[in-house]
Amino acid sequence: MSEILIKNANVCDPAQGINCETMDICIKDGKIVESVSANAKVIDAEGRLTMAGGFDGHTHSAGKINVGRFINPNDARKNLVPGLSGQVARTEKTRAQVGYNTPNTYAIGYRYAKLGYTTICEAAIPLLAARHTHEEFKEIPILDKMGLSLFGSNWQVMEYIRDKEPEKLAAYVAWGLRASRGYGVKIVNPGGGEAWGWGKNVSGLYDPVPNFDVTPAEILMGLAEVNERLQLPHSVHVHCNNLGKPGNYATTIETMKLFEKVKPSRDRQALHVTHVQFNAYAGTSWRDFETGAPMVADYVNGADHMTFDLGQVIFGPAVTMTADGPVEYANARMLHEKWSNQDIELEDASGVVPLFYSPKSFVNAVQWAIGLELALLVKDPWKIMFTTDSPNGGSFVNYPEAFTYLMSAKRREEVISGFSKMALDRMVLPGIDRELDFYELAVMTRSTQSKMYSRPEKGNLKAGSDADIAIYDILPGQIDPSIEYAKVKKAFSGAAYTLKDGEIVVKNGEIEATPKGKIYWVNAKVPSAIDSAMQKDIDVKFKKYYTVSKANYMVEDMYLQKPVEIATEGVF
Amino acid sequence: MQVVRLSLKEANKIPIEADDINPDNFAGKTEEEIKAIQVWYGNSQYPLGEFFNVKIEGSDSVENTKIVFEGDVSRVKRIGQNMSAGEIEINGNVDMHCGFNMRGGKIVINGDADSWLGCEMAGGEIILNGNASYYVGSGYRGESCGMRGGKITINGNARDYLGEHMCGGEILVKGNVGLLPAISNNGGKIVIEGNATMPASEMKNGTVIIKGETSDLLPSYKEEGTEEVEGVTYRKFVGDVNVGGKGVLLIK
Repeated sequence: MSEILIKNANVCDPAQGINCETMDICIKDGKIVESVSANAKVIDAEGRLTMAGGFDGHTHSAGKINVGRFINPNDARKNLVPGLSGQVARTEKTRAQVGYNTPNTYAIGYRYAKLGYTTICEAAIPLLAARHTHEEFKEIPILDKMGLSLFGSNWQVMEYIRDKEPEKLAAYVAWGLRASRGYGVKIVNPGGGEAWGWGKNVSGLYDPVPNFDVTPAEILMGLAEVNERLQLPHSVHVHCNNLGKPGNYATTIETMKLFEKVKPSRDRQALHVTHVQFNAYAGTSWRDFETGAPMVADYVNGADHMTFDLGQVIFGPAVTMTADGPVEYANARMLHEKWSNQDIELEDASGVVPLFYSPKSFVNAVQWAIGLELALLVKDPWKIMFTTDSPNGGSFVNYPEAFTYLMSAKRREEVISGFSKMALDRMVLPGIDRELDFYELAVMTRSTQSKMYSRPEKGNLKAGSDADIAIYDILPGQIDPSIEYAKVKKAFSGAAYTLKDGEIVVKNGEIEATPKGKIYWVNAKVPSAIDSAMQKDIDVKFKKYYTVSKANYMVEDMYLQKPVEIATEGVF
Repeated sequence: MQVVRLSLKEANKIPIEADDINPDNFAGKTEEEIKAIQVWYGNSQYPLGEFFNVKIEGSDSVENTKIVFEGDVSRVKRIGQNMSAGEIEINGNVDMHCGFNMRGGKIVINGDADSWLGCEMAGGEIILNGNASYYVGSGYRGESCGMRGGKITINGNARDYLGEHMCGGEILVKGNVGLLPAISNNGGKIVIEGNATMPASEMKNGTVIIKGETSDLLPSYKEEGTEEVEGVTYRKFVGDVNVGGKGVLLIK
């Protein structure tokens, strides 16, 4: 098949420890190789910054985002980031695009590719709604996709944990991943989703879940044990209890500590804590609300069993969407906003609320600062994944803007200068002068993801890896990102080239080709005796409670486009 | 004064999206330039001259430009969208979204108007000498603010959801209106000379006066005595208490 030689690339590939060195990259049949023949097509990178394709490890891009589209039809015409949002008529190569926070599926694929991203992970798939998620995946072009399945408030999970049946629990999780074609275990406000069915919430790790006689801590530990028993490629992916509440940093650190005793079964973290910005709040109410980032960062600096992502806030309109039902109710009431609430039968809750982050609001200003404080106070970028929890903290199309916050203290000062004194008193960001370089940025946007999802062929440029490559219009030696941040933003907003599996999909910021992406899913093997015993239990659930039958519940092969099955062997 | 006369060459079934037909875009342009302006027809764009006969008298500034539609344009949408000055006269029926986001100038319609007349209008005046359909002066789907300024006068009747999410400006209806006028509005003034059903649901702010009969007055309003407007005494209601509203609803 085709061969490509990228000449004079200024490569930044943290997985190999390469920090902006000029070299050539060889591609054959969609993979990176050591050498190519003289017939290879040549792309001259002209010394420009070259990284592996970006990997967004936590984004809401399929499934629940559709509720965001219903509730916010006016998002279709928002054009806050020209070139990456708003209404774009179809072209010969692309279909029509609309939207900003909740773009149509095609736009999601095109816009991530323009940013040089080639892989995304949908952060929450309710098992019951997994078919819909995969139907949306099918219509997101270019990108490789995977998704995390929700288990944190699931009746069968809680029953097995209460009844101390870890083997059956493992069989259920393996079956749930198969049923939803999911990649990993997502836990959202453990127990809280079930409590919300009764109009309640859980207030911490040791608060019992109504009617199940288990605590969030037990759910977390039960699922973590099973996650390692099944040798899943990703650790449990946790949205902590008490999200969005002043003082919640204590719960967050407590949750992180709980996992110190979990032994990962693979070479990766034992815990991933997601969108920590929303979980790093100090104070006791919105009146004395302040940053809790220094405390969280302090703990993370001394811990080596975990990773986290930011959930950075972007000023302007956003749409919050989460399985954390009670949080969305609180948001809607506090902000007098539109509210969507869903009960996912035996599995979880869900809510969607649009909101607006304003630099004039001291709470929003502090939220904005907390994300950056976490990124800058945690010393090791390998523990951090850059996200905005799109579109909860803001749309992913703002990533280039957010990169300038990380790379330039001057740019941060510019934003901070618009904050009130009250906001400044509640944050520590103005005293931080650290500025990330391209290498650290590459770690947070590519390399961490590759490691934490055990996808060695992604997020790096080693021979044998997928030829997903982004070339940005930046000459690393000749630019000072701390001053020339406008140039940095422009370059990251439209890659000079994005290659997906060795095919040029973006050239000079415009879409060139729209190949179909792969879907990764995990098939964990469980002994058949344990599996059949578990099946009997869920058959009862389907017969007694579910509105659908098991046959209509499973995501079948026909839903998957270019599936990649990741097989793992459970240890029993 | 510049007068631009447009008449359809033949009646169209597929709607024409005329979001560029406004005085701002026509002022000072020659007949050929105006004919070359692109409009959407189905999923493709074509020059305006494909569909319309264009006649021009004079050349002048935006304020002194008048566009006259001769005959029915009931499948031409978004006439006068974003206009800031000048005048449009429509001698026939007009399709949806006429005067959308209008900021100034005047539109006179000598016929009926389809839905979304004056949607998100911020200034200027619309006079409709016929009947209006749904969502007069309302907001774009999903927005919390519709009409913000200007005035819409309807000399006939209007259908449901008149002034939905209205935040300012004035709407006067000489005839009757349908269900739920002034729903979710947050400012502005609506005067209905005829009858109305279930007015001002979830009103946060603004004034609604109904001179005819009011059917199905919502229970979420507090009666607070009477108020006299232009020599007529009305019962005064305040609400909608469901949303902590301070809107004023005056009925007979």
